[in-house]
Amino acid sequence: MLVREIMKTPVTTISPDTTFLEACKLLHEKGIRHLPVMENGILAGVITDRDVRFATSALCPSPQQGSDPVRSAMSASVVTADPSDPIEEAARVMRGQKIGCLPVVEDRSVVGIITNMDLLDALLKLAGVYDSTGRLEVSLDDVPGELARLTSFFGHRNVNIRSILTYPNGQGLIRTVLRVDTNQTLPLAEALREAQFTVLWPMPKPWLR
Amino acid sequence: MASVIYHPEYRRYDFGEDHPFTPARLACLMDLLASLGYPISAVEPPVASREEILTVHDEAYVAAVEALDRGESTAGAMEHGLGTPDNPIFPGMDLAARWLVGGTLHGARMIAGDDETRVLQLGGGLHHAARAKAAGFCLYNDLAIAIQEFVSRGWYVAYLDIDLHHGDGVQSLFYESDRVLTVSLHESGYYLYPGTGHIHELGSGSGRGMKINIPLEPFTEGDDYLEAFDAVVPQALSWFSPRVLVVQAGADGHFADPMGDLALTTRTYQALYARILDLAARHTEGRVLFTLGGGYAPAVVPRVWAILYLTLMNLPVPERLPEDWLAKWAHVLGPGAISTLHDPDPPYPAFAGGEERRRRNRNTVSRLLDSLSRYWY
Repeated sequence: MLVREIMKTPVTTISPDTTFLEACKLLHEKGIRHLPVMENGILAGVITDRDVRFATSALCPSPQQGSDPVRSAMSASVVTADPSDPIEEAARVMRGQKIGCLPVVEDRSVVGIITNMDLLDALLKLAGVYDSTGRLEVSLDDVPGELARLTSFFGHRNVNIRSILTYPNGQGLIRTVLRVDTNQTLPLAEALREAQFTVLWPMPKPWLR
Repeated sequence: MASVIYHPEYRRYDFGEDHPFTPARLACLMDLLASLGYPISAVEPPVASREEILTVHDEAYVAAVEALDRGESTAGAMEHGLGTPDNPIFPGMDLAARWLVGGTLHGARMIAGDDETRVLQLGGGLHHAARAKAAGFCLYNDLAIAIQEFVSRGWYVAYLDIDLHHGDGVQSLFYESDRVLTVSLHESGYYLYPGTGHIHELGSGSGRGMKINIPLEPFTEGDDYLEAFDAVVPQALSWFSPRVLVVQAGADGHFADPMGDLALTTRTYQALYARILDLAARHTEGRVLFTLGGGYAPAVVPRVWAILYLTLMNLPVPERLPEDWLAKWAHVLGPGAISTLHDPDPPYPAFAGGEERRRRNRNTVSRLLDSLSRYWY
C-alpha cells in the first residue's frame, strides 16, 4: 500500500501571515489537526492545533494574540513523504520522529497529506475488517512454502481470503491472521488441524479437550 | 398459545448436500413434535412477491439473484455475495427465499391485523442478508421485510436476536431508524463471523442509541448469558416501548454447535424463551413474532426448537425423546445421540477460565450501559 492510496487531497494550507484566529477557525471548520504552511508556493512549515492553542495560551511564556501571524509558532523543518513511498515507511518515519502528519510533496508542491488517522484506516483495511468475515489464526514454521501451503488449502475449498497478516512470534514461528469470506470457520479450523496445521484460533471446545 | 406458520415449499431453500443450513433440520423438528404427540397444525402463508422483497432489497440485487437462478452469467455473483461456499447458487433460489420471506411477512400481518399475538414462523431468520448482498446463508432478509411491514403501519418494533452470530443485516438496514430497536446477543465478533456487533455500534442519526449489541466471550456459559440479557434487554424494552417484538431464535449458541463457541444449554434456551414471553406480556401486550435461524448440530437443533414450540404453546416439556423418532433419525442425529429432550446435567465437564470470561462479559455490559445512558431517558 502506497502513500498515494491513503493520502488526503486537496490539502488545506495557510500562509505564514495567516493569523492564529484564522488558523484556529480553519482547524475547527475542517475538523483537522494539521495545516501545512506555504510561502511562495513552497512548503515553509506545518502548524498543528496544539501549536496554535499553546502559542495563544496564558500558559505560554510569551503568549501571542489572535491577530498575530502564525509564523513564529510553526515547525519550520518539515518531514515529508513521496506519493510512492510505502505506507510502512511513512509510519516508521512518523513513529521515529514522533510526528502526527506528513505532507506529501512532489516537484516541490504539496499534493496530499497523511496523518496517523490515515494510517489507522490503512491498518483496518489491511486487516480486512470492513467485510463480513470470520477470523482464523494459524502458527506457521518460518520456512519457505508454509504460507503457500496454507493459502492453497483455502483455494482448494473455494474460500476467499479477504486479508492475511503475518508477524513473527519471536520463537521461530510466524503467526498468521486470516480473515476469510465464510462463517464456517470452526469446521475450517478442524480441517486445518487434520491437514497438520497449528491452529491458534478457533480453538477446540475446552470441554472436549 | 401461538399460531405456527409453515409451508412445505420452505424445503426448497436448500444449498445442497453438505451445506450446514439444511432443510432437514426442519423435517426432523416437525417429526419430533409429531412423535411427542403434538403434530403441527400450521398456517400456510403465501409466497412473498418481488415487490415485497424490494421493500428492503435493491432492485439490482434481486435482478442478479433472479439471473443467477436462471443460470445466466455468473459475472457479478461475487459482488452480491453469491457463488461462495456459504451461499452457493442453486436453481430456484429466488422462489425458495421468497417462500421463507412470505412466511415471516405473513406472521407480521397476522399480528398487525390483530388476528394473533404470538406467532412462530418455522423457518426464516435470515438476519445476515444485506440490502444488496447475500451473506452467511441468507439471501433475502425476511426479518427486515417483516419489520418494514410493521414500520409502514406506524408501529415501533423491537428486534431481538439470540442467534450465535451478530444480526448485522437487520441492524444495518435500520441503522438510522428511530422506529426500530435492535438488540443482538452473540459471540464476540473479534473472532466469529461476521466480525461486527461491537458495543459502540449504537445506530446513527435519529436511530442513535437504538441499536444495541451484547458481544459475549467465546465459551460464555448459560448463567452469564442470561445475566447479560437481564442487565440490558428489559431496560431497553422499557425505554423504547415497542408495539411488537420480533425474535430471531437461532439455536447455534448451544455448546455442541459446530459453528461457534458459546456454551448455552437446552435449559438456557428454555429460560430465555420464558423471559422473552414475559417481556412481550409486559411491553407489547404479548405481541411477538419468532423465527428460526442458525443451528447446525443435528442432534441439538430439533431439541432446542421443540422446547421453543412447547414453551410458546404453554405445553409441558417431556423428559424423554420418543424411541421411534430416535430410531427414524439415527442417521442424521449421529452416534451417541442422547435420549432426553434436555441436555444431561451437567451438560459438559467443567472447564477453566470462567472468572475471566465473567469479568470481561460484565465489563462489556457495564460499558455498553454507560454508553446507552446518554440516549436513554
